[in-house]
Amino acid sequence: MSIAAVEVAERSGFRLRRAGNDRLLIAAAIALPCLALLIFFVFPLAMMLRRSLVADDGSIGFANYVALARTPGILKATLNSLTLGLATTAVCLVLGFVLAYTMTRTRVPGARIISAVLALPMLAPSLVLGLGLIFLLGRNGLISGMLGKRIDIYGLPGLLIADVLYALPQAVLILKAALAHADARYYDAAEVMGAGRWRQFFDITLPNVKFGLLSAGFVVFTVTITDFGNAAVIGGDYAVLATEIYNQVTGQMKFGIGAVVGLLLLAPTGIAVYIERVAAQRQFGGGAEGAVPPQLSFVPARDVPLSIVTGLATLSVLAVIGVVIYASFMRLWPYRLTFTLKHYDITLSGGYAPLWTSLLVSVVAASVGTFLLFALVYGIRRLPSLPAKIVYLVATMPVGVPGLVLGLSYIFAFNIAGSPLSVLYGSALLLALCNFYHYHTQGFLTMVTGMRAVPPALEEAATCLGSGAGEVLANVIIPVMTPTLISVFFFLFMRSMVTLSAVIFLVTPSLGIAAVSVMRLDEAGFVSQAAAFSTCIMLVVCAAALAMQLALKWLAARGGRR
Amino acid sequence: MTLELDRLHKTFDDFTALDRISLTVEGSEFVCLLGPSGCGKTTLLRIIAGLLTQDSGRLLLDGKDLSAVPARERGFGIVFQSYSLFPNMTVAENIGYGMRIRKAERAKIAARVAELLELIKLPHLADRLPYQLSGGQQQRVALARAVAVDPRLILLDEPLSALDAKVRADLRVEIRELQRRLGIPTVMVTHDQEEAMMLSDRIVCMNAGRIEQVGAPQDLYLRPATKFVADFMGSSNLLPTDWVRDAMPALMNSRPDGADADYLACLRPEHVRLQPLDAGEARVVDVTFLGNISRTKVAWKGRELMVQTGHVGGVAPGAAVAVSVDAAGCGWVRA
Ligand SMILES: Nc1ncnc2c1ncn2[C@@H]1O[C@H](COP(=O)(O)OP(=O)(O)O)[C@@H](O)[C@H]1O
Ligand SMILES: [Mg+2]
Repeated sequence: MSIAAVEVAERSGFRLRRAGNDRLLIAAAIALPCLALLIFFVFPLAMMLRRSLVADDGSIGFANYVALARTPGILKATLNSLTLGLATTAVCLVLGFVLAYTMTRTRVPGARIISAVLALPMLAPSLVLGLGLIFLLGRNGLISGMLGKRIDIYGLPGLLIADVLYALPQAVLILKAALAHADARYYDAAEVMGAGRWRQFFDITLPNVKFGLLSAGFVVFTVTITDFGNAAVIGGDYAVLATEIYNQVTGQMKFGIGAVVGLLLLAPTGIAVYIERVAAQRQFGGGAEGAVPPQLSFVPARDVPLSIVTGLATLSVLAVIGVVIYASFMRLWPYRLTFTLKHYDITLSGGYAPLWTSLLVSVVAASVGTFLLFALVYGIRRLPSLPAKIVYLVATMPVGVPGLVLGLSYIFAFNIAGSPLSVLYGSALLLALCNFYHYHTQGFLTMVTGMRAVPPALEEAATCLGSGAGEVLANVIIPVMTPTLISVFFFLFMRSMVTLSAVIFLVTPSLGIAAVSVMRLDEAGFVSQAAAFSTCIMLVVCAAALAMQLALKWLAARGGRR
Repeated sequence: MTLELDRLHKTFDDFTALDRISLTVEGSEFVCLLGPSGCGKTTLLRIIAGLLTQDSGRLLLDGKDLSAVPARERGFGIVFQSYSLFPNMTVAENIGYGMRIRKAERAKIAARVAELLELIKLPHLADRLPYQLSGGQQQRVALARAVAVDPRLILLDEPLSALDAKVRADLRVEIRELQRRLGIPTVMVTHDQEEAMMLSDRIVCMNAGRIEQVGAPQDLYLRPATKFVADFMGSSNLLPTDWVRDAMPALMNSRPDGADADYLACLRPEHVRLQPLDAGEARVVDVTFLGNISRTKVAWKGRELMVQTGHVGGVAPGAAVAVSVDAAGCGWVRA
């Protein structure tokens, strides 16, 4: 054998070995997140389905469904939840549309401030809004005091307002995205053809955000009927499904009924997901390349009323959240409004421990989540198209599963005596995983978008220059993806810090989390301490949001210099 | 119908997009606004449509000032480059939209829509949504939508430039036929000189917010007024006066008076002829084969000339040739 031949052989051997490593890396990137998705998402839902069909005496059938129908109060709670859900959805859609329209299609100033204020409810547990409402309009409320008469805020009115304020930002986000896809040429064409403003609105604007409205409607409806915190804080005697289920399951150990309700609660989001799929297929015009954004102009007859409504809505959100922070520093709400820090001395057993648990859970959820999502998105590109489609479908499904349902299903999957998975039950890790899979879809979609920004040409060039998969990953993909990774990490962290509806079923007396503490403090009558605890949560989350902004800015600046 | 533009002026911040544009469109003529991208064609069209207001100058329709008339009351029809069909309406609904706004009777609308669908040869697509149509079909529908209400004026903003060559050529013919048949005056924006020459009764050649020349296609091609027009309307040899005086004295007869630097001779490649001749003073530099004709570059008296030739034997790079020109085909343009 000549020297050259030896060299060639060596080199090809080296290549083979490296190709083997590459395949291993890619296989791991696909297998690990898919396996986790199966265990922590598909499996619990399957167990819930099974449990719904297994009666307490072990027989298989629809006994649980019958039992549910016979359970006193369930029907009432269901009707209440539907009423509340529909009312909240209606208000949120109208108000959300007004806000989104004002911010995207008019010259009304302050869009950035409005966005910032509207982001607040998402940085806090949902029940903070209920809490704030009580400080303003409750028995000892600031406004009630000023008016000198008692307003009965507990029950449907309070719940409605709190849920509207909580869900509004999410509706606005969706509607803003839908309204942002405007193309001036439609409006120009209509204008030249003789259409007036209202006509243009009904013929062009509304039809083009039809799916945005539908999707926002379903998000609001689902969030409302599965929200736990506000129902507990301001619901009063107005029984709703979420609290009723919680009582049935954790109070009376009626797991079969819980499983049935969990399944039923999948219906609205199931419909929503279906509609979105139809919408995606009929996605016309929107976002076409070369779209000309409309010229915004100031039209007093339109913009003045719009800015009044927008201003009031924004102020309400600000006031309700602001009053919680304010009240946490006041000695005796609302009678002695002098500054004190005494409410920050949490008297509930455990004190601030749940906050630290939440922090730990959130960091774990964010780290594990970012890692798994990145691996999944990296791996999915190398799958053949059919399996890739299936994985994609499953990965986007969690958004259709309300937190309440996911939390419930975890009981059926991990609270089984004798199962090896039951070691996880009661651990912070399971809370973290539950939170991660609760927000899996949003993180996944962000990651997919980020991965699209990796230029395939760059990747191929690196490969042709002799880089293995690992080097391509380190030198090409990760640098481009860093902003996405940061965004996903902080998104998961922040959601995990504030969410309540999923983990409420998984907390134990020894493993509390922050949002639950707020609820317990409120239940125990320590409203000011609940406010103080909420303020601490918001502080952590705001700090995280700030850290994310700074990190992204720093990256952008560094990228600019390069 | 007479549309009169009188010293229209438009600036964006400090940038002058239109510089005192005056123009008259009369009868049922087809006028093209032709010029390179960014020269202000769209801006001018949008001002005519009423989608943009001029800073100064007047816009008159049959003597009536249009400044105070909003776009929706001008009664014009407009077609954009692409994506202007309402995505949520079917083809038939799109075409009937203008009539619906005018509160026409249902039966009348249906009849008119059917008639127009026949005219654009798409009667089978009435119930499709725009995204289900090809680019060419979309533009046909857009055209039908624009003419459905018998507009007083049709405005077209590069309606063909998003289409591929074959479709573009077909649609070009259709637009011309449709316009002739309906007899509606039309202003079309394009940056494609070939398109402008094929379609227009008159071409308005624009450059940097100004009108360079207005005239029939033949005028602009054979007697360009400025260097810009000569350059933009096909290729030409632009020759300085002193060189012409020495090399082609015959051309000096048609030269307007003025300093040497004021005018350039514009000599189209087809008005120059080559004769293979051993004693010829010119040398062939390069021959580009274009199918039925060839473009030959020759060096002569210190300049290179572009010549259009048939297939002349003996014309190969390096060959000696004699050059002669067709003096009648030469025009003089302002430098
Ligand atoms: N709304 C606007 N704001 C600022 N500049 C504009 C605006 N519209 C057009 N322009 C500028 O005016 C010039 C002419 O534009 P346009 O009429 O669209 O050119 P054309 O249609 O000939 O390509 C361009 O330089 C363009 O950048
Ligand atoms: Mg243009």
